[in-house]
Amino acid sequence: MKQERFVALHGKAWDRLQSWLHALDRQPRRTLRQEQALDFPAEYRRVCHHLALARGRGYSHEVTDRLQQLVQHGHRVLYRPPPPRWHRVATFLLAGFPRLVRAQWRCMALAAVLFYVPALAILLLLQLRPELAHTFFSSAQLAQFEKMYDPANPHIGRSSGTDLQMFGFYVMNNVGIAFRTFASGLVFGVGAVYVLGANGVLIGGIAGHLTAIGYGGPFWRFVAGHSPFELTALVIAGGAGLQLGLTLLAPGRRRRGPALVEAGWVGAQLALGAFAMLLVAAFIEAYWSSIASLPDPLRFGVTGVLWLLVLGWLWRGGRAVRRGA
Amino acid sequence: MIDTVREIETAEGISLRLRAAGALPRAQAWVLDLLLRGAFFIVAMIPLSIFGVAGNGLAMLLLFALMWAYAVVCEVWMDGQTPGKRALGLRVVHADGTPVTWLPSVVRNLLRAVDILPGVYGVGLVSTLVDPHARRLGDIVAGTMVVHARELPAGQQVPAVPALPLPLVLSADEQAALVDYAERAGQLTVQRQEELANLLTPLTGLRDTAAIRQLVAHVNWLLGRA
Repeated sequence: MKQERFVALHGKAWDRLQSWLHALDRQPRRTLRQEQALDFPAEYRRVCHHLALARGRGYSHEVTDRLQQLVQHGHRVLYRPPPPRWHRVATFLLAGFPRLVRAQWRCMALAAVLFYVPALAILLLLQLRPELAHTFFSSAQLAQFEKMYDPANPHIGRSSGTDLQMFGFYVMNNVGIAFRTFASGLVFGVGAVYVLGANGVLIGGIAGHLTAIGYGGPFWRFVAGHSPFELTALVIAGGAGLQLGLTLLAPGRRRRGPALVEAGWVGAQLALGAFAMLLVAAFIEAYWSSIASLPDPLRFGVTGVLWLLVLGWLWRGGRAVRRGA
Repeated sequence: MIDTVREIETAEGISLRLRAAGALPRAQAWVLDLLLRGAFFIVAMIPLSIFGVAGNGLAMLLLFALMWAYAVVCEVWMDGQTPGKRALGLRVVHADGTPVTWLPSVVRNLLRAVDILPGVYGVGLVSTLVDPHARRLGDIVAGTMVVHARELPAGQQVPAVPALPLPLVLSADEQAALVDYAERAGQLTVQRQEELANLLTPLTGLRDTAAIRQLVAHVNWLLGRA
């Protein structure tokens, strides 16, 4: 068949599809409700067939380029991402995320060791030799910590600011750290190891110093509430980073490229889960931890419940669903 | 291979052509996005300042969203394009040419934290220069790539003149070359058109303007016009 005849036969259908696709770019919702939307997949495949024919028969660029553009546009529309389904977010947080954490338990355990061992070691060390605090922190930093947790301060854990301001600050700061911890894991895991260790030293150092100088009361009362979510999320983000770095180092029986893509997929989900945990932590930290008037039994009781909740969620979450499926 | 076009065969049995975008247009798009976000933040600060200290908290939440969520939300909801990318005609797609979805977009934008080091996109620049598809590390791990979204202009219509059969049978390649010549003639100077047409004097027996006219007439016959 000669080119002109081919165009005369099918040109109208191409124009129709083209104008529908342009309308879709301008008014997506209205155009998708048109009846023509139902025919789109079939129309698109027909044009694909025409393109293959045109190429096979050696038609000129006028036709092949036109069909190629039409097909590229159609491909983009046909394979567009589905709209977000909010119940899937809930399913992921309740079941998918804990399952993923358990599946990566080796990296998570390693991350926990890298974080908690330095933290506890420094904490104990500063009880025995309090003067060593000055090797970890400058005097200005120590003065700031002491001001934040001064037993005379009516609002514990902060020197100034309202609840909402601190919520914004905690989200920005803590989630930023978690995301960077995950991302820096790509550098052969070194970044994640460093961030976990450094945060362990920092947190252990502050806790140790304040306990040693007798400000331990306000400090532990303040951090108790949000620690279950915050510390666990940090460890998970670090574990996600380690997982990425270790995949780069030892991809196993796969090529590095596909192995990394898979690890990135897992890591992003873990980072998103950690993000959700840190939102909860920031909320608790801004609105609950800072209330100075709470009685201690209530405060530490709630902390205990939250720790049980977090660990139970990560340990059992998603099991029943898997059995049902 | 110097060409940056990547051909991907789809389930429909045709190939998509993805033209990888290099570091320069992407850097321009990034700067544009940065300016846009900066301007938006400054404008948003005006109403937020009414709330005083609490407004600071909202401002930090906004800053957080602009830093981490902006690119992901734009890429997924705006057809793989942030406003900066749209202005530069770039688009993020999966390695198989399908539009980018949530998780890959999250991966590539979280790993930006690595690509941006040291200084301003040191790692990312090296990676885009080394990789055949100009991907930065985040793109490699996410399985995505940034492509030019604007289509190249299609071939032009051959001017319609009365068709003239070819005196001898040409091979498919030779026919294609003739048709290409007629389609592109409009973009060439008359001198160049004549120079090319004169190469075919053995076929047409003519020179200069008459040769061009005759070749176009032959092409009309090849295309099947009356």
